[in-house]
Amino acid sequence: MRPAQDNQGSFLGRISIRRNQFTDVNTEQEQEDLELFQKHIADRFTELLTPPPPPQPPSDETDAVASVAATEQIMSVTWLRKLMDVFLCCEAEFKAILLMGRDPTQISKPPFDRLVPEMLDRSIKALDICTAVVNGIDSVRHYQRLAEIAVAALEQRPLGDGNVRRAKRALANLLIALSIEDKENVSSGGGGNKTVERSWSFGRRGGGSSAASKGGATIGQLKSSSWAVGRNWSAAKQIHAMTANLTPPRGNEAAGLPLPMFIMSTVTVFVMWVLTAAVPCQERAGLANHLPVPKHLNWAQSLVGIHEKIGDEWKKKEKKGSAGLMEEMTRMEKLGHSLIEFADGFHYPAEKEAAESAAAQVAEMAEICRRMEEELVPLQQQIREVFHRIVRSRAEILEVLEQAGKLSAPVV
Amino acid sequence: MEKNDDKDPDHNDKSIIEEKADVVSDAHPPDESDGISKENVDVGNAETEHNPEDNVESEGEETHQQTLESLSEELDQLLSSLSLHKEEHKDDNTEEKEKGDQEDDDYFQIPQFVGKFLDLLEDKLSRYDSGEPKTVWYQDQEEVSSLLEAVDRVSNLMRLLLNTKSCLDHHEPLINHAGSIQQRAMAFLEDEFRILLEESVIKETALAMDDASSQRKSTEDAVVSQDQDQVTAPEPGDQEIEYPGYSEDVVALLRKIAEKMKAGGYGWECREVYLVGRRNILMRTLKHDCEFEKVSIDEVQKMSWGELEREIPIWTKTFKNCSSLFFPGELKLAEKIFPGDEGSLFCIVAHGLTIQFLGFAEAVAMTKRSTEKLFKILDIYETLRDSFPPMEELFWEELRSELRNEVTSARSRLGESAINIFSDLENSIKSDSSKTPVPGGAVHPLTRYTMNYLKYSCEYKDTLEQVFKSHSKMEQEEEVPANNSACSAFASQLMRIMDLLDGNMEAKSKLYKDIPLSCIFMMNNGRYIVQKIKGSAEIHEVMGDTWCRRRSSELRNYHKSYQRETWGKLLGFLGHEGLMHNGKIVKPNLKERFKSFNATFDEIHKTQTTWVINDEQLQSELRVSITAVMIPAYRAFMARFGQYLDPGRQTEKYVKYQPEDIEDLIDELFEGNTSSSSTATAKRRT
Repeated sequence: MRPAQDNQGSFLGRISIRRNQFTDVNTEQEQEDLELFQKHIADRFTELLTPPPPPQPPSDETDAVASVAATEQIMSVTWLRKLMDVFLCCEAEFKAILLMGRDPTQISKPPFDRLVPEMLDRSIKALDICTAVVNGIDSVRHYQRLAEIAVAALEQRPLGDGNVRRAKRALANLLIALSIEDKENVSSGGGGNKTVERSWSFGRRGGGSSAASKGGATIGQLKSSSWAVGRNWSAAKQIHAMTANLTPPRGNEAAGLPLPMFIMSTVTVFVMWVLTAAVPCQERAGLANHLPVPKHLNWAQSLVGIHEKIGDEWKKKEKKGSAGLMEEMTRMEKLGHSLIEFADGFHYPAEKEAAESAAAQVAEMAEICRRMEEELVPLQQQIREVFHRIVRSRAEILEVLEQAGKLSAPVV
Repeated sequence: MEKNDDKDPDHNDKSIIEEKADVVSDAHPPDESDGISKENVDVGNAETEHNPEDNVESEGEETHQQTLESLSEELDQLLSSLSLHKEEHKDDNTEEKEKGDQEDDDYFQIPQFVGKFLDLLEDKLSRYDSGEPKTVWYQDQEEVSSLLEAVDRVSNLMRLLLNTKSCLDHHEPLINHAGSIQQRAMAFLEDEFRILLEESVIKETALAMDDASSQRKSTEDAVVSQDQDQVTAPEPGDQEIEYPGYSEDVVALLRKIAEKMKAGGYGWECREVYLVGRRNILMRTLKHDCEFEKVSIDEVQKMSWGELEREIPIWTKTFKNCSSLFFPGELKLAEKIFPGDEGSLFCIVAHGLTIQFLGFAEAVAMTKRSTEKLFKILDIYETLRDSFPPMEELFWEELRSELRNEVTSARSRLGESAINIFSDLENSIKSDSSKTPVPGGAVHPLTRYTMNYLKYSCEYKDTLEQVFKSHSKMEQEEEVPANNSACSAFASQLMRIMDLLDGNMEAKSKLYKDIPLSCIFMMNNGRYIVQKIKGSAEIHEVMGDTWCRRRSSELRNYHKSYQRETWGKLLGFLGHEGLMHNGKIVKPNLKERFKSFNATFDEIHKTQTTWVINDEQLQSELRVSITAVMIPAYRAFMARFGQYLDPGRQTEKYVKYQPEDIEDLIDELFEGNTSSSSTATAKRRT
């Protein structure tokens, strides 16, 4: 009795939708939408690939200026925030194409009975990555605070042994945190503990501790395993799984709805891959190499460009072990090393030249900290927004599918 | 110095405000002149605090003429004269950084013993580092005050040296030396702070035994957590959960260390150690005490319901404990060790964890729906509803609203899921079209399942009421007419399910070819429904008295038609017509009547003893009403016509049953006997 009623209800609904919505079942219109969608994707990623002004060659007193220019660089916090915006835009547009004015039964028929569940499964995995990355940003905030201590110590005047040792201690902590390999960083149980022990051994009662050698790292690491997403969760595995069944649509599928689904899935996987690369993340071994991106498609050109850039950088870093490729972190690490060098060579009273170049580095570090202070929390919030968006979209798609299920059920 | 004292509160306020304004960025050094004027004021603060204690100086480890203690007094005098010296130039110093419009020509002589004091402190630190002292320093009260006061003096010295222009000009090497010792002392304190934080927490339960104050604290906590649990569903084993804290002594020591580190400008190291340490401790506790293990959303989707069903109570227990015990504990602890922190440390420790908790709730809401999940989903819903508000209170305003949004989203997801489960239930009732009648007209499994489900769900009545009210946007669109009635959304949902169930049962009753049996079937199911509803105050309240009355009268109708169908025919044999002819008995007719009666009764008995009435009361009601109709009629018939049969063989042949026999046999009906009833009859006759 009710199915019949339902059927009729949404049949009428369908007609009125057809009348009202811009997307028609009419394939010509759809084709136009698809082209527009691809163009938008291409445009957005092109903008991400080529940030507006190229960085100026740094002159002596324009460090601040130079780093402002670096703000927009690929993998900087600001850039990551833009990337999140891009994702949200693409997602909204995609959902409109997928759902608006569409006959629900259309997306429950083959090949969608396979494509849609696959896509939904990818979105579940993306959610976990969002969570992992939000946690990772918490770690970055920890690095930021360590760097701030070093900055505060090295900004003291007169600069004495005490200040330098204090800074060194903070920097040593920072560098340990920054160079931790993924496995050590988070894998369950043993790995995490090992890190903690390592930093502990620098501590008191740990061997020959003359006053001078007491610059070691001590603050201790977050047992990242306890902040992980799940016991055996691995970002690498999840991203692999997301790409496993992700193939460009062929034949007559290539002209229709499967294409934007493929595009959106690729964008999602790519964005998640970038995020896991940017900040500390549970288990990402092998991710530097592995991300099949479609090479010869127009919309993907810039995306491929960004992917190559990051991938190259990642491969370089992977050998050394790195907490993340976020531009600020990379710079922080470099500055950290050279400031530790400065600290090692420091003898009171400070040599003028060394002190001046250190001061410049300290200023740069301070600037990085300031930027992190401003942008990390908003970035975290954006990623939460992405999380909720994905949750909502998933629910909406399921709702439509359910409706389709009712429609296609035989009317008794 | 008194002037300085006056400024203390001012200074404190200021630092609180600064800290509150920004958790992280106050590691940024304040711009220099600012820092100086602020620290200036601090001198008085630290000193007033310590002067009285100096009077009860210990003679402890006095070896030669100069010890840390003996020098302390001299140093204090120096510090106060130094600060007086500064006082005199205070007016100029306000603009100090602006590089001397006036040259500071009072060269301030720093006496030799200052260097000696620093050396002695360094020796002390070296001894600690080498592990020479047999006892740990913090277990010796004198050592504690000796060290901490010395550290304080170095910090005061540093501050004054750095803030006095003449010292900056003339005593840089000393400043370097003092700064170096200060750093060493601070690094030592930092390590000690971490060790205390990490290691004394594990001993806490043991310590609680002999430490009365901490014992009181922990029992208090236990009471809180029990109370919390009694409000909602009690989980076994919760009483044992305690906050991983410290004895009062350790807290006091941690606070002192934090205070000294902050006073020396090393507060950030201390906070960072604290953050890392407490986070790890908290996670460890959740894991050990609550068995809480993080699960990814993906994993939740892949879990069997059995596994997930086990995870959910662990989650709710953990969440409740965080809300009532762990989080308030963290907030209190941070406030105790870092007075004036106002929750910034707590927020860093707890924020990420809270978000993860909510992720699990979302993950469960995303799993494939099934009716069995309803109650666990509602458990999560209720936990968020009840335990989140006290939890959010602990967070800062900005985070609070963010978290609230997260919770709202999770709750909508769960609520929608619950509503959808009900519509799934509707669908499953609608589509249950099994064609096999239940033997004996007994209660149908679908009725049992549905009623038990509804009864159980009515234990969550208020929550469901709320869920339907807040999250049923879809339903309203679809079912506007159904919701127009005055009753609540959940009640009308329940009514709808009842109606569907009725409809389904009526269709199923048609599967019985025997009309009386289909009546019995309807009675059984109807009775079962009514009993279930009467048996539970919650569902009764939702369905209402009117509904129950209407339902009971329907049942009476089935009863009547059963009676008519089965026994009406039998009663027909006991009528008088056709037996008398011209005032005389027509014996063959009479014999025929008896025969038919016996045969029909036997047949009824034979079939209806296999029929089932599950409800005892209904069973006896039916038997009583049958007896009430049959026995008087039979007795009267016997009285009237029994005499016309010849006693002996003829009577034996035609009068098979005495009225008492009939009564007994009626009492055997609806037993659901599958074995033949004739044996029973045979037995009874003998």
